[in-house]
Amino acid sequence: MAGVAVRGIRKRFAGAEALAGISLDFPDGGFFGLLGPSGSGKTTLLRIIAGFEHPDSGRVEIGGEDVARMPVERRRIGMVFQSYALFPNMTVAENVAFGLRAAGVPRAERATRAAEALALVRLQGLGERRPHQLSGGQRQRVALARAIVTRPRVLLLDEPLSALDKALREEMQVELKRIQREVGVTTIFVTHDQEEALTLSDRIGILRDGLLVEEGPPETLYAAPRTRFAAEFLGAANILTGEAVPEGLRLPDGAILRAPAPARMVAIRPEAVTLAPDGSAPEGWTALTATVTARIFAGARTILHLERHGTALRASLPGGAPPALVPGAEARLAIPPDRVVPLTG
Amino acid sequence: MRGPVPLLAPAYLWLTLAVFLPLSAMGFFSLVSDIPVGGRAWTLTLDNYAEFLARPFYAQLLWRSLELGAVVTGLCLLIGAPCAWVLARTIRGRWREALFILVILPFWSNGLVRVFSWAIALRGGGVLDWAVNAILPWDVRVNLMFSWWAVVIGLVHSYLPYVILTGYVAMQAIDQRLIEAARSLGASRRMILWRIVLPLSLPGLAAGAVLVFVPVVGSFMEPRILGGRAGTFFGTVIEDQFTAVFNWPLGAALSFILLAVVLAVLAAAAPILRRSQ
Amino acid sequence: MTAVLNAIGRGWLILTLAFLYLPILVMAAMSFNASPFYRLPVEFSTRWYAALMGNAALKQAAWNSVWIALVTTAIATALGTAAAIGLHRHRFPGRALLQAALYPPIAIPWLITGTAMLVFFYFLGIPRGSPAVVVGHVALAIPYVVIVVGARLKGFDPALEEAARSLGARPWQVAAWVTLPYLAPAVIAAALFAFAVSFDQFVISYFLAAPGDTTLPVEIYAAIRKGFTPEVNAVSTIVIGLSMALMLLVARLARFGEVR
Repeated sequence: MAGVAVRGIRKRFAGAEALAGISLDFPDGGFFGLLGPSGSGKTTLLRIIAGFEHPDSGRVEIGGEDVARMPVERRRIGMVFQSYALFPNMTVAENVAFGLRAAGVPRAERATRAAEALALVRLQGLGERRPHQLSGGQRQRVALARAIVTRPRVLLLDEPLSALDKALREEMQVELKRIQREVGVTTIFVTHDQEEALTLSDRIGILRDGLLVEEGPPETLYAAPRTRFAAEFLGAANILTGEAVPEGLRLPDGAILRAPAPARMVAIRPEAVTLAPDGSAPEGWTALTATVTARIFAGARTILHLERHGTALRASLPGGAPPALVPGAEARLAIPPDRVVPLTG
Repeated sequence: MRGPVPLLAPAYLWLTLAVFLPLSAMGFFSLVSDIPVGGRAWTLTLDNYAEFLARPFYAQLLWRSLELGAVVTGLCLLIGAPCAWVLARTIRGRWREALFILVILPFWSNGLVRVFSWAIALRGGGVLDWAVNAILPWDVRVNLMFSWWAVVIGLVHSYLPYVILTGYVAMQAIDQRLIEAARSLGASRRMILWRIVLPLSLPGLAAGAVLVFVPVVGSFMEPRILGGRAGTFFGTVIEDQFTAVFNWPLGAALSFILLAVVLAVLAAAAPILRRSQ
Repeated sequence: MTAVLNAIGRGWLILTLAFLYLPILVMAAMSFNASPFYRLPVEFSTRWYAALMGNAALKQAAWNSVWIALVTTAIATALGTAAAIGLHRHRFPGRALLQAALYPPIAIPWLITGTAMLVFFYFLGIPRGSPAVVVGHVALAIPYVVIVVGARLKGFDPALEEAARSLGARPWQVAAWVTLPYLAPAVIAAALFAFAVSFDQFVISYFLAAPGDTTLPVEIYAAIRKGFTPEVNAVSTIVIGLSMALMLLVARLARFGEVR
């Protein structure tokens, strides 16, 4: 096991900048999610750590050791590919034992360790099957078992759950987290799915256009993003702009939005927008009125789409909304100041 | 990673030496009075092409070969297209695979022997003759052997699988939902055939047609075996120059003219061929 | 209505198959007919097959055909597989041209290619004979090998090789344990294909082989031209049986006609 660090990584492909100077620490034993839209460079960064691509400049360290000149096969990594990349000409057990075979582990020990790894991913007894005889979720587990059986220093996952349907994906998230905790291997995974990143990671790094936008524990990134991009990419957010005043922010129509600090731009999560009971906001909260434009029933919550002087707002209300709040109606909103997040850019 | 050169060079050098250089060299040999070997005197000349133009016999034979190509191609399309359709759209599962292999199997087997087998079936007093006489009450002599029709039958037999193969691939790729959509819009069977199926399978059938036409125009073995005296075509005349008359420069010129015709056909069909891939 | 049309279609297909196979079956039947004048009905005999055993020229031609096909197979499979991998792995200017260059040997009538080879080899001082035949056959077989192996490579997930490397496999182990096992069926199919291309090839051999020391198809052609004897039936039946068996094997390996 080992921590991973990248320093000032730059990479161009055919003239386009894929990574524009990224430095990050991936803590030992942690579960780190690299999150970003497609083209943000997250997969390139993962492939550079694996050794499939070489950075134009910058350093990659695994366990404090510079691996620039080390080919993939000597880096002692485990990787799970988006397509799983199970060898079709081998059985499940042979797939899992592949890395041990390459390392020259004796046959008997290979069999024992492969069986252990299959048990860890709850596929005991399926060793003699061929990959094509397995379901998508089972293939995913085999790929995982194959990647960890060699006790790698770091486990790299490239969009590991994207090929699965929603129910299976949620089940595998729990499994993945359990297995990672049991093995304790430093894990870096790439995803474009913010929910997946929030569920799995101890830390998240958000990438955009080859640059690191923000990094931190998921709770912090969600509750207190510093940038508009992070606020909008990690969950839904109302973005409001105006003039910075001592109480917080003055909206273009003159209303004051209370915030912990003066700000010209703030983010408010839809679930932080509440309805003012009896039309009046609690002491210190911001009271606003807005017109309902749409009302969406989403099971446990009801989403109100609102508009105030040309600015769209969203409120996510637990349970039902009052029946009177139909499109065209006026809603009186109350926003607690501690849920208003000042943004820097 | 190393470059592609060490992987590609051997194969392409071989192709260059054995195919592309000879083809280019033939262009040169068609312009000389004698093959420049062993100190033989030779000059650059257009005589060989003048010979082609001076004797209408050659142009007539080229025309005869093109006509043969057209007839054989037409028959192959007529017979093959429905077969391709049946295979691609109405038969399913293991039967389809088996029948498909059955259709292309003769195609990949020995071509010479297949032509020869027609010689046995078609000859007077042969099986066809015998079968016809067994059915018909009156005495008929069926002897198609050594006729233009024998050549046509042998060539259709040789190249029919091409059309079925390319047609099958194109027709199999037609999305069934397109036909269902047309039916839901009230299209008749005939309209579906003409406005959807045919346009969509046309690239495949056209590719098949080109793949039949080109070798038929250059055929010489089939006419020799099945055609006898009726089997003189452009291909057999070229062969004669190399194996009987030993006028190689003239043979090279005739070969080159044939190559020009073939390349013109291939070039004209290139957009369709590319679409069918 | 649909049922009637389907029945007509199937009937048409069966008639076509009959057209394709009947003459071959007739030839095979005649090869077992005792009568040298193809008298009907067939009177069973293996005398023509026995006569083949005593035909030195045919036996020599058969032997030539086999070894020429084997040499062609070895060379064309090696060169063609390498070229297919080179075309698949690398993107470079002129790649499309190289891919297009595979088709002339297939598409240009063999009469033209064959006579061009004859003249060119003569000019270079390469005499007619088996070595020249091999040179020609290999050139014809290479494109087929590249196409068959290339088709298999298209379905190859490059992540398989990356996965092997990430698991610590050295380059030779990646090749031996992952890439080659994946390619094996296509390489075997391509080799059988190359063998068939050479073994069945008539035109190129006809122009390049030395008179009197030729391949089986050329020898059969000569015999047919002289006036066909039932012996030719017998050897032809053997040849077509062999080449069909070979292609059936290829079809099984390459999975032609498989519903994808």
